[in-house]
Amino acid sequence: MDLKLNAINFRAPKCPSFALPAAVSLRSPRFLMASTLRSGSKEVETVKKPFTPPREVHVQVTHSMPPQKIEIFKAMEDWAEDNILVHLKPVEKSWQPQDFLPDPASDGFHDQVKELRERAREIPDDYFVVLVGDMITEEALPTYQTMLNTLDGVRDETGASATSWAVWTRAWTAEENRHGDLLNKYLYLSGRVDMRQIEKTIQYLIGSGMDPRTENSPYLGFIYTSFQERATFISHGNTARLAREHGDMKLAQICGTIASDEKRHETAYTKIVEKLFEIDPDGTVLAFADMMRKKISMPAHLMYDGRDDNLFDHFSSVAQRLGVYTAKDYADILEHLVGRWKVENLTGLSSEGQKAQDYVCGLPPRIRRLEERAQGRAKQGPRIPFSWIYDREVQL
Amino acid sequence: MASFSASAGSFSAVPCALKQNQVPNLRKASLSFSGKAFPSYKMPALRFRVSCAAKPETVNKVVEIVKKQLALPDDRDVNGESKFSTLGADSLDTVEIVMGLEEEFGISVEEESAQSITTVQEAADLIEKLLEK
Repeated sequence: MDLKLNAINFRAPKCPSFALPAAVSLRSPRFLMASTLRSGSKEVETVKKPFTPPREVHVQVTHSMPPQKIEIFKAMEDWAEDNILVHLKPVEKSWQPQDFLPDPASDGFHDQVKELRERAREIPDDYFVVLVGDMITEEALPTYQTMLNTLDGVRDETGASATSWAVWTRAWTAEENRHGDLLNKYLYLSGRVDMRQIEKTIQYLIGSGMDPRTENSPYLGFIYTSFQERATFISHGNTARLAREHGDMKLAQICGTIASDEKRHETAYTKIVEKLFEIDPDGTVLAFADMMRKKISMPAHLMYDGRDDNLFDHFSSVAQRLGVYTAKDYADILEHLVGRWKVENLTGLSSEGQKAQDYVCGLPPRIRRLEERAQGRAKQGPRIPFSWIYDREVQL
Repeated sequence: MASFSASAGSFSAVPCALKQNQVPNLRKASLSFSGKAFPSYKMPALRFRVSCAAKPETVNKVVEIVKKQLALPDDRDVNGESKFSTLGADSLDTVEIVMGLEEEFGISVEEESAQSITTVQEAADLIEKLLEK
């Protein structure tokens, strides 16, 4: 995100799609879609090269934060050590993917795999499309670590920097890394999906990267990650719930465990932004409005499987229809953050800051209204094939 | 071709920059073409008609709704040629303007049509087209 209205034109660092698909979302406002250039689009040369993944269309802006503000983040390092790093879990106390998967060293391994596959058989294709999309998003982790390291003032300068920010980024990456690994192994063992197509999609996606338009600004960056972590918490929470409904308690546990990590990360990122609102309310509210005007784009919006030029749109439509992640969630997250950061109560703002405050506070009901309208006219979507499930068809 | 003959009647009511002597020519032409298919024939005046089709009341209503949505002062000059983006509308504003027009005129605008609207005139023309149905 898209609310086709898309979110994002209108879209955690790893977050399942926001239904802001461009061409296809029948049930969500188009406005939220982040704009991307497809290989067949008229904005490119008419000669269509085969196997061209989508790319970002917007002009990529860099270093929009005034360099003086870098000081703020240096000065925050001690505070970050005491207040942010505490949200990391020590490795010795952390879960590992193996805790949730059949144990290859055990005699019961084959039976455990058999049971896993039996449970997976009861789960419909449309759920798997969404789970696969989520897994692909998680597996594009290199892009997100990169994105965090583009931020001025907080980047890991050497790859082993001792600053609290760098310690956080590496440890965050390490925690997130387990998510993709766990989902990958589960999907591999399930037998329900085409791993090769999925792997290809991941290779394309990491190759494409993404530009969330955070412009090297940690203000924009941490607002973006706050939004995304909450979105991903909601999304994994929903896949957990649906897994339970389909009778797979182990899968429900997997998704639920991932969701709880995301919640911890959301707490950390929102705390950073809360501190920024304290230190520099004007700059932070301007940043918040800026991100929302640009719309929060989904990390995997450039996904491509070599076949479907509108893969992300199709995936997000299914996620919207299943209620895993919807345009309504986008509005809810925004409203939550406005409350969490007490944006309404900010005082001493410049006139630009006040405009930004009004914009952000007034935005959730506007998005909800758009979403209601889109739902009201939602036609039933077509059934389209997904290469991730051997071209079996799923209703959009 | 059906739209051709239908337009002949409404021509005189259209406040365009068409000169008086052009109008009777068009009427004559449309009479002789009615019911026949001339796919390759181009009538330059037809383009005139399309761009001047909307009634002034429609255009004014659109201007009112646009000014309200974008919180523009009453004395700000907004007319048919005004582009939404120049007036400061973002994509969300544009959709909300379309929603406002739907409510005002009791019409329903398709997603694809909504996206092609960039000026006040285009909005007014689309409204009239939908009202004709």
